[in-house]
Amino acid sequence: MKIDKQLVREIAKTARIELNDDEIAKFEKEMNNILEAFSKICAVKTDNVEMSIHPIKLGSALREDRKEKCLTQEEALSLTNNKKEGYFTGPRAV
Amino acid sequence: MKYKFTEDIVIGLEIHAQLNTHTKLFCGCPAHGDETPNTRTCPTCLGMPGSKPALNKTALRFAIKLALALGCEISSKLIFSRKSYFYPDMAKNYQISQYELPLGINGKLILNNGKEIGITRVHMEEDPASLVHPAGMGASSYVLVDYNRSGNPLCEIVTEPAMNSPEEAREFMKQLISVLKYLKIFDTDTCIIKADANVSIKQKEYKRVEIKNITGFKEIERALKYEVERQKNEEVANETRAWDADKGATFTLRKKETEEEYGYIIEPDLAVEEISKEMLEEAKKEMPELAHEKAMRFVEEHKIRKEDALIIAQEKELAELFEKAVKEINPALAVVWIRHELNRVLNYNKKTLEDVKLDEKEMLKLLRLVEKKIITDRVAQKILEQLAEKKIDVEKYVEENNLKAVSDAGAIEKYCKEAVEECKTAVEDYKKGNEKAFNSIVGAVMKKSRGAASPAEVQKILKEMMK
Amino acid sequence: MKSLHEINGEYNCFNTIQEYKEKTEGALKGVKISVKDCICVKGMESTAGSAILKGYRPLFNATAVQKLLDEGAVIIGKTAQDAFGFGSFSINTGKGFKQPLNPIDKTRVTGGSSGGSACITKLADFSHIALAESTGGSIACPASYCGVIGLTPTYGRVSRYGLIDYANSLDKIGVMAKTVIECAKALEIIAGKDKKDQTTADAPVEKYTSFPGKGVKGIRIGIIKESIQDGVDKDVKEKFLKTAEFLKSKGAIVEEVTLPVTFKHALPVYYIIAMSEASTNLAKYCGMRYGRDEKIEGSFNEYFAKVRSKCFDDETKRRIMLGTFARMSGFRDAYYIKSAKIRTLIINEYKNLFKKYDVLISPSMPNTAPKTEEVKKLTPIQNYMMDILTVGPNLAGLPHISVPVGAGLPTGFMIIADHFDEGIMLQVAYEI
Repeated sequence: MKIDKQLVREIAKTARIELNDDEIAKFEKEMNNILEAFSKICAVKTDNVEMSIHPIKLGSALREDRKEKCLTQEEALSLTNNKKEGYFTGPRAV
Repeated sequence: MKYKFTEDIVIGLEIHAQLNTHTKLFCGCPAHGDETPNTRTCPTCLGMPGSKPALNKTALRFAIKLALALGCEISSKLIFSRKSYFYPDMAKNYQISQYELPLGINGKLILNNGKEIGITRVHMEEDPASLVHPAGMGASSYVLVDYNRSGNPLCEIVTEPAMNSPEEAREFMKQLISVLKYLKIFDTDTCIIKADANVSIKQKEYKRVEIKNITGFKEIERALKYEVERQKNEEVANETRAWDADKGATFTLRKKETEEEYGYIIEPDLAVEEISKEMLEEAKKEMPELAHEKAMRFVEEHKIRKEDALIIAQEKELAELFEKAVKEINPALAVVWIRHELNRVLNYNKKTLEDVKLDEKEMLKLLRLVEKKIITDRVAQKILEQLAEKKIDVEKYVEENNLKAVSDAGAIEKYCKEAVEECKTAVEDYKKGNEKAFNSIVGAVMKKSRGAASPAEVQKILKEMMK
Repeated sequence: MKSLHEINGEYNCFNTIQEYKEKTEGALKGVKISVKDCICVKGMESTAGSAILKGYRPLFNATAVQKLLDEGAVIIGKTAQDAFGFGSFSINTGKGFKQPLNPIDKTRVTGGSSGGSACITKLADFSHIALAESTGGSIACPASYCGVIGLTPTYGRVSRYGLIDYANSLDKIGVMAKTVIECAKALEIIAGKDKKDQTTADAPVEKYTSFPGKGVKGIRIGIIKESIQDGVDKDVKEKFLKTAEFLKSKGAIVEEVTLPVTFKHALPVYYIIAMSEASTNLAKYCGMRYGRDEKIEGSFNEYFAKVRSKCFDDETKRRIMLGTFARMSGFRDAYYIKSAKIRTLIINEYKNLFKKYDVLISPSMPNTAPKTEEVKKLTPIQNYMMDILTVGPNLAGLPHISVPVGAGLPTGFMIIADHFDEGIMLQVAYEI
């Protein structure tokens, strides 16, 4: 599996990371080196093997539908300066 | 999945219904309550680093009930996925949803006309935050974000593209809401229901347009009617549009060149729960009688028509009223007054029974009076119109306004005699063969009796008199 | 006795140092705790070593932190690390953060990603325990390079509530100290089911301090064959085998075992899963609600990309890119799904050995702490390869402890036990 510059751009866009041309070339090279080293996994036979989502078997863990103490508006907004009239402010959606 | 369409209009719906739990899906913040922004939040629903989700047991129970009620096959394991995308209303820039293995698949919902709408899947997911655009959606340079809604428990229901008109889509939504209410997992006062609709028309080679975020079932028909017309008259592109309820129009959100890249992984912060046979048996035991079953029971027990039974049963409040009524009055009469007359009044006012909060006791009193013929139908209709707006003491109202049916033959005869005397022209016309003239004489008598005379009696006496 | 500030000025082990007030009660009274910067302490800047979380002061304590505080411990500071845990040497510290230096030789690296933790553990001349974290070996590696004890518990043994995520199915909070007993004591306190973290295990918490001292007579020990082949420094191999002989002399039954699937594939499988999960975990860092932000302008895509690109260092960007790729439609089956399946095979391989053996042993790292200059010359893939000995137990969620052995530059002797068998692991470690 080879990654080309076009794919690198697409991945960066999906991940919301800006890269200049030098960086794209650098990542192209590095990612290909890494993926080549990793490519042996394709040959492993895994028919009828289940995915491991966790390395141990977890028992049931469900939360009761009971209200718990929440943050005050002030506390919620306390970690940022981007706020206005009780709301968080954010970049425009369109 | 490739479908072969033949109908003129093809509609599929993706509905998000908020479950009526006390707390959010993955944290203990209240799911309803204070509407002041950012007063029902915690590190988890704010996506703060270090926080972790904790699944709400009741939300799961509710979702299982819904999937069962919709006839779905239920998965044996509960697996959540991370659906990654960036947006200002996303606390983590991924939504915990279900992708690999939805809770329920291959269900169906039957409309009153018997048509089956296939349900592809039912799954659970969390709600994003709410955005306020200070200067309107296209014009704001920033957004205001309120995380009160962030993390609310939703059930997503995806239908097959099996509806063929905006009316049918509206019918589907009504049926779905009926199911949700019967299951007691949805509260119209506090829970939100939204839909995305996929619409295509034959005329434009079934190019698919997605309309996002239509709130409530009343808007569905409006939005779809608009969109179908628009597609008939304009160029149609594969795109995503939004519905602007104020303007009454859809507008382009984004072009659909490629599928969204959601990069799904299985949610590693939650344990994979088993959904055992025992759990399903428990849920099945708790299932109430749903609309369709109830309707069939009405037909059997009360010998009413299937069509009437389905309409009554679909709306929980209407069904409850009906069941109370048939304990003491004739079912056929109950059907007339509940299915027809009451619905007529409600439709006229563009309200549902739940909106109106009709006083049940008074309604039943009214029906008793009608059955015993103490008041005429005409009088009863007028009283019903009143009752739909405010609470009135029916018996007192009848007394005070002298509305008891005049069945006293003497009194009716008196009115008839007077009318015949006064309406000389009409009487002549009737004798000449003009049927319409007869009605105006009847009208005069009714006026004299303030509607309290039995129309049948009046007609009988008049006909005798004018032979 | 040097002050913490003086030590820090020389070795950069802390990102934050804080004043504390001694407590008078609790099993840990008098003990000072350093906390890895990715573990939340209420009101204390918790950056996970990344510029994008500069200024983030959590509104809550991590469960593990709270448990230690409840037993009378005091927190003295937040230790330096590779940003988000992305590294094996602690040289990938975020923009504006200093690299921690090896306490034995300042020209060498501490190991990573819990480099600062290992550094202060070695240098502390007061009662101290480091609360650290391991995803692929981030406790065993720096413990090995700095000459201290590093304990990584079973996955799910300690609550991850309050841990700033690297990879949720791989992260484990653990401890470092100068002695096995101190590690055992700390583990007793921080372990246990937590309803705030639904991936914590039901398994009862044992009295871990009761195991050290029971000796190794009759204990079945498996030497992992692949860990003493080529690629491991001669010096490391010698010290390791000498220790194994020592255990044999104390009555342990020592035999060679093999883990072929693990040693062929654990490295790529670990990285693919870790980066897939990490790339989703790091999506939330976009300049909203906490941490670094910018003036709100532009569309959300522009704003998010600006903040992220500005604050993320190279290694962070690299792992996000690779992780995003591994779960993209079209590649997901071959990478993310495939790796999760091979993970099952690897776990089974270990479980099979544990049917016959009480513990498995290997060196913690294939080398001693390299010089910073040398490390800077390594390519990304060469960096990743250094984890060859630690990724196995980390991927399988097995508890493991690194104990320093031999004279000269420190090397680590790693003991791996079956899930929830921390007791036996401590028992063997104590004898060394």
